[in-house]
Parts: sequence; C-alpha cells; structure tokens
Amino acid sequence: MKLLPFLLYTTLFSFFILSAAFPSEGTSSDTEEEINLRYSISGHVKDASTGEELIGAAVVVEELNRGTVTNVYGFYSVSLSPGFYQLKFSYIGYESAIKAINLNQDQMINIELTEDIQLLKEVTISAEGPRAHVRKPEMSVNKLQIKSIKRIPTLMGEVDVIKAIQLLPGVQASSEGGSGFSVRGGNPDQNLILLDEATVYNASHLMGFFSVFNNDAVKDIKLYKGDIPADYGGRLSSLLDVRMKDGNMKKFSGSGGIGTISSRLTLEGPIAKDRTSFLLAGRRTYADLLFLPFAKDEDVRNSQMYFYDFNAKVNHIFNEKNRLFASAYMGRDVFGNVFARMAFGNQTYSLRWNHLFSGKLFSNFTLIHSRYDYELGTPEGEANSFNWKSRMKDYSAKADLNYFISPEHTLKFGVISTFHDFEPANAKGLGEQSLVTEFSLPSNFALENGVYVSAESALGERWNFKYGLRYSSFHNIGTATVYNYDENYKPTDSIVYESGEFFNFFGGLEPRLAASFMLNDVSSLKASYSRTRQYVHLAQNSTAGTPLDVWFPSSPNINPQISDQVAVGYFRNLWDDRLEASVEAYYKKLDNAIDFRDHASLLMNPYMEGEIRIGDGSSYGLEFLLRKNSGKLNGWISYTYSKTERIVPEINYGNAYTAPYDKPHDLAIVLNYEITNRIWVSGNWVYSSGLPVTFPTGRFEYMGNIAPVYSNRNAYRMPEYHRLDLSISLAGKDKPNRKWDWDLNLSAYNAYARKNAWTINFVQDDNDPNVTHAEMTYLFSIIPALTFNFHF
Amino acid sequence: MKVILAIISILVPGLWNCTERIEVKVDSTFTRLVVEGYVTTDTMAHWVRLSTTSDYFHNQPAPAVSKASLRLDDGEVVHTLREADTLPGWYFTDSDFYGIPGKTYTLNISDLDIDGDGLMEEYSASSELRRVNPVDSITLRYFNAFGTTGYEVQVYAWDSPERDWYSFKVKKNGIMLTDTLTEMNVQSDEFFNGNYTHGITSQFLSNEKPDEIVEIGDTITFEINGITEDYYYYVIEAQSQIFPQTPLFSGPPANIRTNLNNNAIGFFVAYSAEYSSTIATSDVVDGGVNQ
Repeated sequence: MKLLPFLLYTTLFSFFILSAAFPSEGTSSDTEEEINLRYSISGHVKDASTGEELIGAAVVVEELNRGTVTNVYGFYSVSLSPGFYQLKFSYIGYESAIKAINLNQDQMINIELTEDIQLLKEVTISAEGPRAHVRKPEMSVNKLQIKSIKRIPTLMGEVDVIKAIQLLPGVQASSEGGSGFSVRGGNPDQNLILLDEATVYNASHLMGFFSVFNNDAVKDIKLYKGDIPADYGGRLSSLLDVRMKDGNMKKFSGSGGIGTISSRLTLEGPIAKDRTSFLLAGRRTYADLLFLPFAKDEDVRNSQMYFYDFNAKVNHIFNEKNRLFASAYMGRDVFGNVFARMAFGNQTYSLRWNHLFSGKLFSNFTLIHSRYDYELGTPEGEANSFNWKSRMKDYSAKADLNYFISPEHTLKFGVISTFHDFEPANAKGLGEQSLVTEFSLPSNFALENGVYVSAESALGERWNFKYGLRYSSFHNIGTATVYNYDENYKPTDSIVYESGEFFNFFGGLEPRLAASFMLNDVSSLKASYSRTRQYVHLAQNSTAGTPLDVWFPSSPNINPQISDQVAVGYFRNLWDDRLEASVEAYYKKLDNAIDFRDHASLLMNPYMEGEIRIGDGSSYGLEFLLRKNSGKLNGWISYTYSKTERIVPEINYGNAYTAPYDKPHDLAIVLNYEITNRIWVSGNWVYSSGLPVTFPTGRFEYMGNIAPVYSNRNAYRMPEYHRLDLSISLAGKDKPNRKWDWDLNLSAYNAYARKNAWTINFVQDDNDPNVTHAEMTYLFSIIPALTFNFHF
Repeated sequence: MKVILAIISILVPGLWNCTERIEVKVDSTFTRLVVEGYVTTDTMAHWVRLSTTSDYFHNQPAPAVSKASLRLDDGEVVHTLREADTLPGWYFTDSDFYGIPGKTYTLNISDLDIDGDGLMEEYSASSELRRVNPVDSITLRYFNAFGTTGYEVQVYAWDSPERDWYSFKVKKNGIMLTDTLTEMNVQSDEFFNGNYTHGITSQFLSNEKPDEIVEIGDTITFEINGITEDYYYYVIEAQSQIFPQTPLFSGPPANIRTNLNNNAIGFFVAYSAEYSSTIATSDVVDGGVNQ
C-alpha cells in the first residue's frame, strides 16, 4: 500500500529534476543554442551602512518580471540570455536600487542598499519583494524582522525572538512566560532551533522565562511550521532558523541596553574594511549583584542567581569567491544557595566557508559543534553531598550547494552528517563523609546522516513548484548497553556492544513538496506535503520542562518518530499590497509518537526506555494571519483553531486523549504605532483556550491525607488565558553630528493584571482536614519594566 | 530525587507567592473501596481501615465500610479482624499480634457491596514483610536557613547489601510526629546500596509546626521500616499527587498505584520496624543558645 505513493513520487520527482536541469521553458522559437547561451549575474546584496548581507532581498529582472531572492548568505544569482536588462534590488525598509546591465558575459554585481530614512514609510515592499508572499511556493513559514520584534512589549523588557514567534498562528507558548513553544500541536522537542546552523538544544534561561537569543546579535529569524525545506531534518514540527549578524564591515559600532533584569552590549566593526569584521555580544542578568547583597537573610545574600550569553563572530572575505565565517555562542545559568547549586548552558560553534564554483553554483561547507550540559550538587562535607552532571555533544559536517540554473529553476543539494554523544548522568558523592556511591548511566553514541536534493521551478506565469527529497539515516554506535524489555516493560536482559560497533540502523525518505498557483496578481492558492523523521528525543514529562530534561536517541527499543503533514492555503495581498493575508489549513499525522507511562521516572534511570510508551498522534487546524509590514501603524493579527490528539495503548486506558499543548482557540493581536518619528507605542493582546488538564473527580483518605482519584487524562481545561502588554518608546532627537542615538522603553507586561492560572492544585484545608479546595497559582501580575537602549 | 527537585523549586524566586482559591467544577466518578492496612513487627492490635471514595469536594470524612469480613493469612495461620464498636470501618487484630520478617501476608475482605448491585464482593491484597537493619544511633542537628528553623534527624546505620526500601518516621516523647503520608519519608538505597550512612539526614522537625518544637529533655525516637518496593512507589506516587504540582517539574497527574484487586484502591503493607532514640540536650536545642 505504501509502495504505490512512493513510486509515484519518485517518478514525478525525477521528472521535475530533469525538467529543471534541462529547462525547456520559453517560446517555441527558442533554439537549443539560445537556451544554452546563458550568462549569470550574481553577487551579494548588502546594507550600505554596515555591509551586512541582506537575507531574502528581492532581485527582479524587470523585462521578464521574474526574479529571485538572496539566500541566507545574501547571495543571488540569475542566468539570462544575452541582452540588456534592468535589475531591481529591494528589501523592506530600504530604498530600492535599479541597475542596468548589458549582459554579454558572466557578471558579478554586489549591491548595497541604503536604509530608508523615513523609516517604514507608506511604500510597500515586503521583505522578499512585492508579492513574493503570494507567489513563492512556500507556505507555513513566518519571517520576522528583528526591527519589528524589538518593538513588541515583553516580559521585564527583555526583547525575545521566541516570545515573538509565539504570537504567530500555529505557534503556542508551552507555558506562561516560557520560551518553550509548540508548533501545530507538536512537542517542544520537535522544534529544530538553529543558531548559525548549530543546534541549540535548550533555548531557555531561568527556568524558561527568557530565551538564549540576544536580540542585538541576531540578524534574521525564520520559522518553518510545516513545509520544512529538504535541506533540514531531524525534527518533526518546525525549524527555527536564527542567523547572527556578521559584524559591521564599514565602521566600528556598538549597541546595547540597560534593562530591569539585565544589561547587554554588542560591539562590531571591521578588522580590515570590507574584508574582515567581527562581532562580540554579551548579556548578563544582575539581580544577584543589585538586589541580593541587600537581603536581610544571610543565606539569601549568599545565594547565586544569574545567567549570561556571549556571542562572538568573525568573518573574512578572501575574494569574490571565498568567504569564511566563524561563530560561537556560550550561555550559562547559575543558581546556588546553602543547600544546592545548579548550572546549565549551551555552547555552539560553527565554521562556514562560502565558495562560488561559478556565478551559478554557490556552496557552503560547515563544521558544527554544539553541546548542552548541566550540573547539580550540594555543598561538600555532608553525608548526602553529591555532584551530578549530564552532557550531550554534537559534531556535524555539512555541505550545501545552490545551483541557479535560470530565473525559473533553482536546484539545491547537499549532505550532512552528525555524530551524537549523550552522557545522560554521572553522579558521585563529594567528600569522605558522603555515602553516595558513584552512579553513571552509560553514554550513547549515534551517527545521523541526511542527503537531499530539492528544486524550485516556475511553470508558466501561474505555477510555482518546490519539490525535494531527503534521505535520512541513523546508526546507534557502541559502546552501548541495550536492555531488552518484556511486555510489562520490565528489563529482562541486556546486550553489550563494543566500542565503534554499528549495531542498529534506521533510515527513510522524507519527501517535501509544495506548489503555488497564482489566481491573479495578488492572490494564490498553495498546497504542500512534507514528511519529517526525528531520531533524537527529549525525555520531558512536564509541560514547561526543566533544564534537567535529557535527550535520548532512537534505539532498538525506540523507533524514530515520523510526521506526515499536508497543508493548503489561500494567500492574498490587499489594499495595494499594504496588507498580507493568508489562511492555511493543515492536517498532521504522527507515527511512533513518544509519551511516558504514568509516574514516569526519567532521570538517572538506567531503564528509562522502559518508561516510554509509543502511540500515534494527529493534529489539524486552521490558521489566519493578517499582517501589515509598513506604515505608521503596523503589526499583525493571527488566529488559530486547532485540535491535537494522541492515542497510546497504555495511557488513558487506550482511549484518545487531548495532547498537552492543545489550545483550540488562539488569538494574537500585535500592533505598533508611530506617533512621531521619536515616539512609538506598541501593544499586544493574546487570548487562548486554557491548556488541557487532568482534575480529580474523586478522593480518598489514606494516612491522614486526602488523595485524588483522577478523571481521564486531560479531560478538563485550565481557565482561558488572556493578557495585554503595552509599551511606549521615546527616541533621542536626530541631530546631524551626534555620533550615537538612544531610545527609552517603558513596558507593562500583563497590563490589566489578569491572573492567568499557571497551575491548579487541590489542597486540604489547614483547619478542617475534611475540606478540600482548588487553588490556582499565577506567576505574574502587572510587570513594568524600563529599558534604555543605545546605538553608536 | 524529589528532594533535589524541591530544592530547585525553592531557587525559582517567588513562584509560590501568588496563590488563590478558585471555583472548579468537576464531575463525579464511581465509588471504590479504599483500604488502609498495616502489619508490622511490633506486638500490638494491628488495624485495617475500610472506607470508600467520595466526590472530590465531598468535604466530610470518608464514608466508613462496616460489617465486612476481614481475614489475614500469613501462609500458615489465618487471623480474623474485628470491627471496633466505636470506630466504624476500623478492623483490629488481637493485641498480641505481630508480623514475622520473611513471611508474606494476605488480606482478604469479603461480605461487602461497594457498587450497590446487591451482590457481595471480595477483595484481597498481599505484602511481603521485609527485614530491616537496626540503627546504631541518631543525632539531632539544629538548622537555620532562609528564616526557617528546626532539626535534622541524622542516622548512623548500615544499609544491607541487598536492595532495600525504607520509610522513616519520628516520635517525640512517644507521640508520632510524622503521622501523615506527606510527612513520612521514604527512601530507596539505589545510590548507596551496602554503605554506612554516616549520619545522613533522614527526617526533619520544623519549629513552624507546634507539635514538632523540641525542648531540652525531650526524647526523640527515630523509626526505620523495611518496606516493599511496591509500597515505596505507592508513597512516592501518592506524595507527588498530594503535594502541589507545577508545569516545571510535574508529569501529568495520574492515579496512584494500589496492591488491591477488583477496582479497590489504597494499600495493604507489611513492614519491619527498628527504633533508635536520643534525648535533646541544651547544646542542640535552638542551636545551643540556652546553654
């Protein structure tokens, strides 16, 4: 049954690849020679003041009304027959540039666009050129400008890219104020979060209230919620692609801010003008420095509580054809008091080499290392003193090639290989007094590979296609101890594999298809299908998750999770392209979806695989987005209706249950209004159904306590959630010879102090032990914050 | 493990400050038999309590189940339990009864109709009585941290080379202080199997609870029980469902295990008990300020 669609797909796929490689596009009078005689125009599109490459800038050949967009390295290429052309380069918030070209040989044209002085004036250029939103065969994708993210009012004034994407349709915060997110009903571990191509395994600081991304160091973010490009794999639900700034190539500059809980400083500049530049960015919270020293209690005074982020990047242009980027991120959270201490953090490193084989063939080679670790312990000298560590490391090598065949056809292909090293837990006693025996869970090793090819083709004036195929594979590698489990999930025996032994294999195809059909100049219909496979999973059993949750690989006991998703959408620009509107419907099916048994024990458990229960999941939804990118008033309204369910034979008596992140209704209104050039106000209002919960429907007495008897899993819902955030900003006067500018931002998170339930507990009355109450805990009342930002 | 998580949750500032009562409407569920019963190595009248579940906001004592027949089978002898005249639902053994380590005890309950269908039902549960090592000694240590004061009960004992599961209780002057499920402490020797305990803190007394305030001359008695793995997890699961739960650390709420059959809930457990006492001296009480 599964063979037929596969054969059909591969046949279609080969047809498209062939048609792309040997384009027959054109009028019937075209001869073979004329077609073959094409020259390329290629180059980079940059910001004139900083030299930063612009991602997704539009390049349109005016004569053909066809074009392309720059890739993530700001590179574009179009191949045309000889002749005279006008190329128009445009990017949101920048003045367009037009270049006349007499094309009689391959040409390299780098363009620098100047930022529009009248910021966001009422001329509409969407990020990827007029109507790219409508035309591109790309759906379930949201791109946010870092500029507009900075205007969204936030918790404690900390601008946060993840909080911003939570306001998009199909994306839900996994808990109040948290930076975990669920895309189309998926689990937070089904999101691939990349920072300059390196995986970020835990994007949270401070128990999730802040994300690891320092907005001053971020250039661009793009979220793929469904139709994930074939270049990427390894996660079921989404790809969040975060790109760091490269560093100013023109002059030394800096930006920073002093906020309520943290300060940050970014410095960037040329090491050699227009050839080499650097970026350094740091952020640190200072509650421990400012407030703790004044605490009355000595124990509080001696506590530690802070987090920091450090981003560094260097890039060097060797020549027109070669460029190197080295990026690093380090972040850490540290907590400590007289009883315990804990620290956790990510590190990511990537080294990338852009190489142009020709004006048509762009390549990027990447080496990546990313790691996440935590440690936890108690002070030395006690009988229970211990130190506990957990760590995971990835090493990847990657090659990506873009072949720009013609304005109508682009081909991408590449390969990636990742070595995973998981050290789930190592605990040992501290000091002679400690009675804790050393306890280690064995490390796991695995090799994950992906190879892909994908193409984008225009067929006539109306049709655009994107079709890709990815093949991914996964090998478990020794040293390893694999337990076998009986039908009750009790370990029976184990098999030990030697070092370097490849002992288990998974692999499979992941087709990714999308098409758009232009109904007219301003509207289109789109459809997509994608399959994704996930080989590493997070052992997270709570909704918000903790820094202690560990990742684990697929294995002889755990099959990879597989997702199939179809989506259809209607896209339309309104009001002379000032408004972008879209409606998307999706249906997603999950196979081998991972859940955990009741009362699962996921940490320091050698038999953790025995805690896993495998089932199926499904999700469907309808997403609306109305967005205005320019003008004094800009922002968006998003609404999602969705439903997500799971069926796991051993959970909820085998009956379907509502998935933990299911919120049927989810609305977000995000608005920004510029009162004058110097003053702007922003607000967002979110409304959503409460998260599903399990409540007690009965009770019993045992040893002086009242204990619950529960409903079916997730049979109830938390109260509905809503919240208004407001902010007002004042910028410094624009003086011609001032070397720096500033703005001051006053924000109020939860402006009308809605008490949104974070958790509901059932407790016994203090005075009458027979009486029980429901008690809700809410995290935030109104939280004002003042932030001062500067830039020079 | 749970202690570690509790410590971390203390580190998260202010999470527990904003709590208020709310109205929540919940449905009813069918009535189940609830069994709470113990067999220990102490010589005394042992008891089993029978009650039923009720609606969550019932707000009355659990309805007692009277007039049932209860038999306790130790593999050789069957003992009959009798319901007390003054305590409906409480069934007692003879006062010279004691459990013997190594034996498995089975509780059989009959002659009761919980589902009200007019037909009598039968229930049963079994528990092995595991032995426990004696405690060499205990000490009290005063603590004062984050504005809370009290005492740690530190224990010196050998853990046996076999896997063990323990529950820890504390008495003051013969009166049980840790008399509820949530005050009892259970521990598995997973991370210290076969080791000497070197005075590990095994229970706490808090000055915030009036009955736990220690005065000079008070006799503090530590009770250690050798329990079954199943009962250990019963207590862990019950505590996790009774203590407040958070989206950070708690998994989905789930019903607590039982060792009873036939849809009954609760637990019947057999365990051994050892004791060790100390007298609170002036250098310990309130950190020695009264010396």
